[in-house]
Order: sequence, then structure tokens, then C-alpha cells
Amino acid sequence: MTWEMLAVFIGSSLRLATPLLLGAVGELVSERAGVLNMSIEGMMLTAALAGAVGAWATGSPEIGLLAGLLAVLPVAALQAFLTNGLRANQIVTGLGINILVLGITTLAYREIFGARSRETIPGFDKWSPPVLGDMPVFGEAVFQQVWLVYAAIGLVLLTGFVLAHTALGVAIKACGENPRAVDKSGLSVTMIRSGAVMFTGFTAALGGVFLSIGDIHTFTEGMTNGAGYIAIVAVIFGNWRMGRTVIACLLFGAATALQFQLPAMGIEIPNALLIMAPYLLAFIAVAGLVGRQNAPPALTVPYWRA
Amino acid sequence: MLQLEGISKRFGALAALSEVHIDFAAGEVHCLLGENGAGKSTLCNIVFGVHEADSGSMTLDGAVYRPTGPAEALGAGIAMVHQHFSLLEDMSVVDNLILGQGRGVLKRQEWAEKVRALGERFSLPLEPFARVGDLSIGERQRVEIVKCLMREPRVLILDEPTAVLLPDEIAALLAVCRRVAANGCAVILVTHKLAEIKQVADRVTVLRGGVVVTQSTEPEAEIDRLVEAMIGRDLGSLSGVASGAVGAEGAVGAFEASHTPDEAGEGAEEVVQIDGLTVRDTAGAVRLDNVTITLRRGEIVGVAGVEGNGQSELGLVLAGLLPATEGKVFVGTRELTRATPAEVTAAGVGIVPEDRHRVGSIVAMSLTDNLLLNRVERFTRFGLMRRGAMRRTAEAMIGRFDVRAAGPEVPFSSLSGGNQQKAVLARELETEGLVFLVASQPTRGLDVGAIESVYRLIREACARGVAVLLVSSELDELIGVADRIVVLYRGRAVGTLPARPENRPAIGAMMAGHAQ
Repeated sequence: MTWEMLAVFIGSSLRLATPLLLGAVGELVSERAGVLNMSIEGMMLTAALAGAVGAWATGSPEIGLLAGLLAVLPVAALQAFLTNGLRANQIVTGLGINILVLGITTLAYREIFGARSRETIPGFDKWSPPVLGDMPVFGEAVFQQVWLVYAAIGLVLLTGFVLAHTALGVAIKACGENPRAVDKSGLSVTMIRSGAVMFTGFTAALGGVFLSIGDIHTFTEGMTNGAGYIAIVAVIFGNWRMGRTVIACLLFGAATALQFQLPAMGIEIPNALLIMAPYLLAFIAVAGLVGRQNAPPALTVPYWRA
Repeated sequence: MLQLEGISKRFGALAALSEVHIDFAAGEVHCLLGENGAGKSTLCNIVFGVHEADSGSMTLDGAVYRPTGPAEALGAGIAMVHQHFSLLEDMSVVDNLILGQGRGVLKRQEWAEKVRALGERFSLPLEPFARVGDLSIGERQRVEIVKCLMREPRVLILDEPTAVLLPDEIAALLAVCRRVAANGCAVILVTHKLAEIKQVADRVTVLRGGVVVTQSTEPEAEIDRLVEAMIGRDLGSLSGVASGAVGAEGAVGAFEASHTPDEAGEGAEEVVQIDGLTVRDTAGAVRLDNVTITLRRGEIVGVAGVEGNGQSELGLVLAGLLPATEGKVFVGTRELTRATPAEVTAAGVGIVPEDRHRVGSIVAMSLTDNLLLNRVERFTRFGLMRRGAMRRTAEAMIGRFDVRAAGPEVPFSSLSGGNQQKAVLARELETEGLVFLVASQPTRGLDVGAIESVYRLIREACARGVAVLLVSSELDELIGVADRIVVLYRGRAVGTLPARPENRPAIGAMMAGHAQ
């Protein structure tokens, strides 16, 4: 492999990992608070469509981003209400929302775009940070990215800091470990968990918008194609720790990048096997083959005061 | 300082509290005395805002106090140490204190200093950065207390705080109560142990069936009257074990008279051999370490120890629910080391699990089903249940074991705790060819009447030649019922002593790890 190819590989790994990273950061917060947010897949899909529609209608990807964020609000609010207000089963509600969203986005896409489905949608321009972007070989291939990639990195650092070093972080983690302790210390489990779900909605929206107008500038039916689920798997793979979750996302991004890289290097592997790679890694993670799993004890358990 | 006026609370058909009037004064340790189900915890939970009273009012320093949740109670200066800890085990002591009290970006070192200062002031030493999951039960309780004291409460409620503590730790805790009260705080101490009342109480209120039956400002002089008020009968009518359970020393005479270790047990054949049992958990930590216990026919062997010292694992291994890492278990001539629960039952071993609700019964099923759970196959024909035969057998058992229920088909969850336990015990005692009974914490949460029934049934089984392994955290009960007591400490059997009152200090020392 030449240096140029390596640079391209790293750059595309980072780009492909970004939606996972954005989804996983929110999912991690939500799961640490005790809510397994399955609807992240639906949240990303909603934002991907809304972002595409917004950008296409106005010509401005920024407004597309805003549309994506707004469109996810009701989905996240519904998930928060069902799991924390009604204390419904988190997995059933999450899957229900995903199926609902798949139907709605497919219908809306056909109604709005219909015959114009080949049209290119205005997306974000690429940008590179001053010094890094000027590096030889790697500069352009690695650092020339849509600004959302850098936003994702910033969000990871900020969230990691909040979880580790603030009272809010302690309260979030406490909700996943022992919600009764949270209630008895005078904080509201419902508020904290709902807030965590809304935060997942926010990051998932960024991830979804990145998919449609950050990366490929188009929308296709069901285009998230399991990215939300992979984000959930990244959290499990990461053993509910920020650092390891980020590594998992990068690994999944790299596995996806290999699909494009290996043929370019003249290595002949059936494409189906490569497409399978991230899912296979996910399977290995879920099967507990990467060390002992330390899931938050109260994950998926609704909290009742009495 | 805090006045309760006419507080009433119902849960469905059950009147948990009716028309309760109590005044709690600053600077006093006020004990709430009562049996399980008397309404003590409900009362505390109402004061702390967990439950709302149906009627009645509370005033705090003359102002109306009507909390809708713990947040408001805490804001009003009322803190509570709950019977069951609500701690974050995977986090440090400091982080546990920060929960609900810290704001913004944390300065953990400053919190650690506060913990140390408070620890010094009230003799509650704690290592601020220790992981709570690694602390002993006594230390965890200290975390709960420090958590409350950090808020500088005006009213401190402690709900049965001594149930899980060692004798030395109890003394230290009571001293803390005194010191907190001396600082002008109103301390509410819930208990059903009389020795504690004698040591700290300025005032005692006795609850029975949700009603205040009596109060006393000189509890030390009136202990017998308070006990009788608590249990609603004369002390003389109590058996020794039951009075041991409430700690009524006035009844010590009866206590010893009733305790007649089965001398016949000495020469009887050995029926159960637990040989070098060792259990390591999935993390590799040793939970049970080379435990050897032998039981003879008709012998009751007590297993004493502070909770979490291997008793649970011992019970699970014997029930076939947890594989032993090393060692063997023989009952009669059969080896049951890695037997399944079905094989354990078939070998004539009855198991009364410590968790009555999750392991001992299926609360959503009927009383009949629960009574016959361990032998449903005997009531099936061509794969179909013979409901009539089941009901007849269940009715006979209900009569014989005095299980009080509205009928054989009522859901198990509708029974009181004592009757649930009697039903579980009935089922296990009816195990075919019963030679060995393992009873784990069989009286936990029961009132005096039910405790008496449980021990009468266990004694009867014993008289029929059944060997009984009785695991309990109530040392007084073990002394009253067992022939010998084996003490578990950190998974090891650190000693065996005859179950006599005079051995109580020695057993207590062994439970605390001061091995002889």
C-alpha cells in the first residue's frame, strides 16, 4: 500500500465513522442513564430525510441541518415519553418507532422527490483546519472533511468531560446504575433520562444529516441501513466507556472503508464479505467475545418510585 | 420541631397508618418501635415525601409541611437513611455524595476534604476515593449517613439501620445518633430491637397495625410495657425464640427453658456431608472457601454471619443453583455436588430460599400451584393437570400448616409475608423422603407470630429426624433454635460453637472476623 492509499484509507475511515460516532455518543449517554434507545436508527433516518428536503428546498445545507434537528425532536420526545413517562418496554417502543419512521420517510421521499430522485441535493462543503490541512500527502486526504466531522470529535471530547467531571455526569451515570439513589437524593430520574434521550436525538440528528447532505448528497429509502444499530453495537463493543466506544466506531468505519480500498489495491475479495465485515465485528462484540461486559445495571429497567 | 397530626394512609384495602399523632423534638432521639407491617417505614416514607398521606397534616417549625417528593423533604432539611441502601456501587464514596448535592464541574478534592472533616466530627471515618462496592456493609451505611449529614439536616430519619450491622458497629451507630441529636437535630430511629432503645432513646412511640398504641418518655424503665404494646400480647405467652427475636430480656427465663438441644443428635448417624466446598464467582473472587459442615439426623445447625459472607452462595450451591468450584456435597449416600435442582429435590432435600419472592415462589400463580410446585408431575395424567387432586392435596396442606388465605386458588401475592413463608415451608417439608432441609433467612420480615410458627414447623421436622441447616443473620434466633452454630466470615467457616446464650459474645466476635 502506498502512502497515498493509506492517507485515503484513513480519511475515508474517519468520514465513514462520523455518523456512527455521532450516534454512539448520544446512545452512550442514554444507555449510561438506563435507556436503551433503539429508536436511534429511526432518529437518524428522520434527520437524513429532513436534512435532504431542507437543503434541496432552500439550497442551503445549514437550513437542511436545522430541518434535520427539528424533525427529530418529535421522534425523540415520543421515545422519551414512552420510556420514561409511560415506562413502556424500551426495545418494543424503539423498534416500533423505527418501523414507523421507515414507512414515513419512504412515503415522504416518494411524494416529495418522486421522479426527481436522481437530483443532487446541495450539501456541505469540505474544509480543512489550517496547519493540518497543509501537510504533504495526508493533508488533503485525511483532514479535508465536512465540518461535521470535527464537530463530532468536539462533541465526543465534551461529552466525555461532562460524564467524567461534572455533577450532571454523575447523575446520568447514577440513573443507569441505581435510579432509586437518584430519586432519594432529590433529583428526578424521569427528567435526567428524558434529557438523555433528547440528547441522543440531537446527536443522532447530526449523524443522520451527515449521511444525506454531509457525505453523499442524496437521500435514498432506508439509507441509514443499520447505522443506528451499529452505533448501539459500538456502545456495547465499547463496554459503555467513551474511549472504547470511539475506537469501536473507528473500527467499524475502517471496516466499511476496506470495501472500497481493497479492490483499489487489486485484492479480489467478494464484495459481500466486505459488506459483512462491520456486522461480523458487531456480532463478535455482542456475543461477548471482547472481554467481560459491564452493562449499566438499570439499563432497560423502567423506574417506579414505589 | 416536626409535628404529625392525624396522618392516615391506605394501600388498597390495607390501612397502613390511621390517625397517627407524633411530635418530634429537636435534640432528641425518638425511637419508633413496632413489628414488621406496623407502619413504621410507611410513616418515615411519608415524612420523607416518598408517599403522600391520605389525610392529616404535618408542620415543620410551625409551618405547614407537605412534601410531594424526596426533593422537597431534603429542601426542608429532612434527610433519611433507608433500610435498603441506595448507593452507586460502581462509583467512589465522593461521587455518591456528589449525587444530588454537587453542581457544575466537580472539585473532587474539596469534597474529599468535607468527607474527612465530617468523618472526624461524628466519628464516621471513610476513605473518600474508595469504590463503594468494595466497602463492608457497615462502611456503606456510613456513606449513607455522611450523605445525609452533609446536608446539615434538621430531622434525620434512620429506618432500621442496625439490622445489617455487627454488634460493635451498632454501638458506634447509636453513638452517632446521640451526637447528631446533641447538635440540635431531631433524630427518628426506627427499630424493633429493645436493646437499642435502652441505649439511645429519649422518647419512644410504639406502632401496631398502623396505630400509635403507646408512647414513653422513660423507655428504659418501661421496656416490658413497650414490648407488650408492640406485640399486642403478654410477654409470658411468648416462646423463647420469639422473645429472642424481639430481644426482650424480660423473657430470658422462658428462652432458656425452651432451648433444649437435641442430645439424641450426638450419637445419630451423619446424613449430610458438606466437604471442602469452594465457590469462585465469575470475576474469580472466592465467595465460599473450603467450607466443611456435617449434619446428623435430627440436628439443627445454624449458620451465622453478617450478610454477604458466603451464606447466600452456600444456600445456592446446596439448592443446585450455583455450581461449586471445588468440594463435594453428600446427602445420605448420594453425591449432590453438581446436581440439578430436580435431582436435589428427588434426593429428599427441601430448600427454603432466602429470596421468598423471586426464588421461593411464583407470586402470580395460585397458592395451590405454589404448594405443589416441586411435584407437579405427580398430579398429571397424560400430560394434563389433575386440578381436583391438586386442590384436595393443597387444602390438606393449608389446614395442616395453618396457612391463612382466602382460599386455595387465590394468587400467592395476596398472602401476607408470614403465610407465604409458611406455604413455602409446607411445600419443602412435604418433599418426598425428606432428610435434609436448608432454610435460608426463613423469618426475614415476619412478625413474632409467624416467626413462632416457622420455628415450630422446623422443630417438628427435626423431631422426625430431618437434619436442618438454618442460615440466619439474626443471631438471637439461631441461639434459640439451633444446636450448633457455624460462623461464616468472608466465605470461610471460622468456627463452630454450641448454640448457647453465653457463647453470644464469642460468636459475635467471630462474625466480625476476630477468629479464635
